Amino acid sequence: MAEANPFVEIATHLFLEDLASKVGVPGLNNYLVSLAKNLANGMPKEEYAAWHEFLSALTTGQSILSTFEEVRPVTEHCMSTPRSPFERGWREYAKRVGAFAPVHHEVAEYYNAKVRPIAVTSVHIVLHTFREAAAARIKVSGKGVRYEPIATAWVDGQVKMPPEDRLEPLLARAGISRTKLGMLLRNHADVWLVEAP
Amino acid sequence: MLDVALVSLIEDMIEKAGADGVVEFWQRVGDALASRVGKEAYLGWTSFNVAVREGRTAFSIEGDVTPLTDMAITDVDGDVVGYLYAMKQCCYVPTVFRTRYSVGHMSAADQAVAQEYNETVHNIAVCNFCVFHERFREEIAKNVSVSGNPLVSYLLATRGWSGETKISSKNVAMVNINEEHMRALLRNYECVYALVMRGARLKGGR
Repeated sequence: MAEANPFVEIATHLFLEDLASKVGVPGLNNYLVSLAKNLANGMPKEEYAAWHEFLSALTTGQSILSTFEEVRPVTEHCMSTPRSPFERGWREYAKRVGAFAPVHHEVAEYYNAKVRPIAVTSVHIVLHTFREAAAARIKVSGKGVRYEPIATAWVDGQVKMPPEDRLEPLLARAGISRTKLGMLLRNHADVWLVEAP
Repeated sequence: MLDVALVSLIEDMIEKAGADGVVEFWQRVGDALASRVGKEAYLGWTSFNVAVREGRTAFSIEGDVTPLTDMAITDVDGDVVGYLYAMKQCCYVPTVFRTRYSVGHMSAADQAVAQEYNETVHNIAVCNFCVFHERFREEIAKNVSVSGNPLVSYLLATRGWSGETKISSKNVAMVNINEEHMRALLRNYECVYALVMRGARLKGGR
């Protein structure tokens, strides 16, 4: 798919900042969750006969989950994203406008406290909510697919992941070790889990 | 991804604030962005046009801008007081196609905002993003000076992804450019605007 003009992303960030000044951090969180859900729900549903067919669609960019980002499977259920789909916009914002407004981190902290501790900045609320809602639109062998984030590494190197007691079961389900996760986070933006329970 | 999600946000915003509310939001965002981009000063039009071509000015944030240096704008004394600038591709067109190939269709919210703007502010928008970046250019022009004179921006013509064109009769007359000439430019460019020294006595000025 063609790349977006990063100016549109810069404008969107500023739109969100303006929105936050009107509705506050909780209100912005609600908007971000809502727009991500609306986006996923506006996209066509998917069905696959078998897990390997779904994995193939994921890696070739044919699935709703790989529409906006490159997905590389690490195991059958553990996926990695080499580059954040928001990286270009962030770099352009930093270059042309300056440091990100604090509200992007504040809303991420709000989300981490209220939903799950996985967002470094505002765009991760969109990303994780979108993936969760998108996964719910996929059926493999007649079963729904479930998404769970394992770790997020932002462009500036900040990493967010669940606390140890919640991380270990996730890693076990994903089929990777803690060391492998550390290796992936050196040069990947996200590590996540998809499964058909 | 955020660009495609923006379309969902606009839909949501229209439900809550109406298309006129979204127009106001976009205009405030244009002001906010312009206020965060610093001031610039150039010795003359040559240095400014080189900076535009090399992507170093505040206007370059929108993407590749071509200074049409063969299309100078002169004042009543025949002195050059501005030039035309053009973008081969509208900033929003990649997003329109990305939306088309991810969601399947473009939301009606996009045109609802453009239509509201055309009816109430300036009949020049071919998509909702025009609302934002016309305002952004107007504001940023105040922060850029050439030969000590701050600039003013006039959006002249736009071409949308579906081929629809809009020409601003009032702005085209202001800078004394023929509409037929503008139509010819729209065959090669999707967005054409003029930057003129603020306060210049233009031939078509009111």
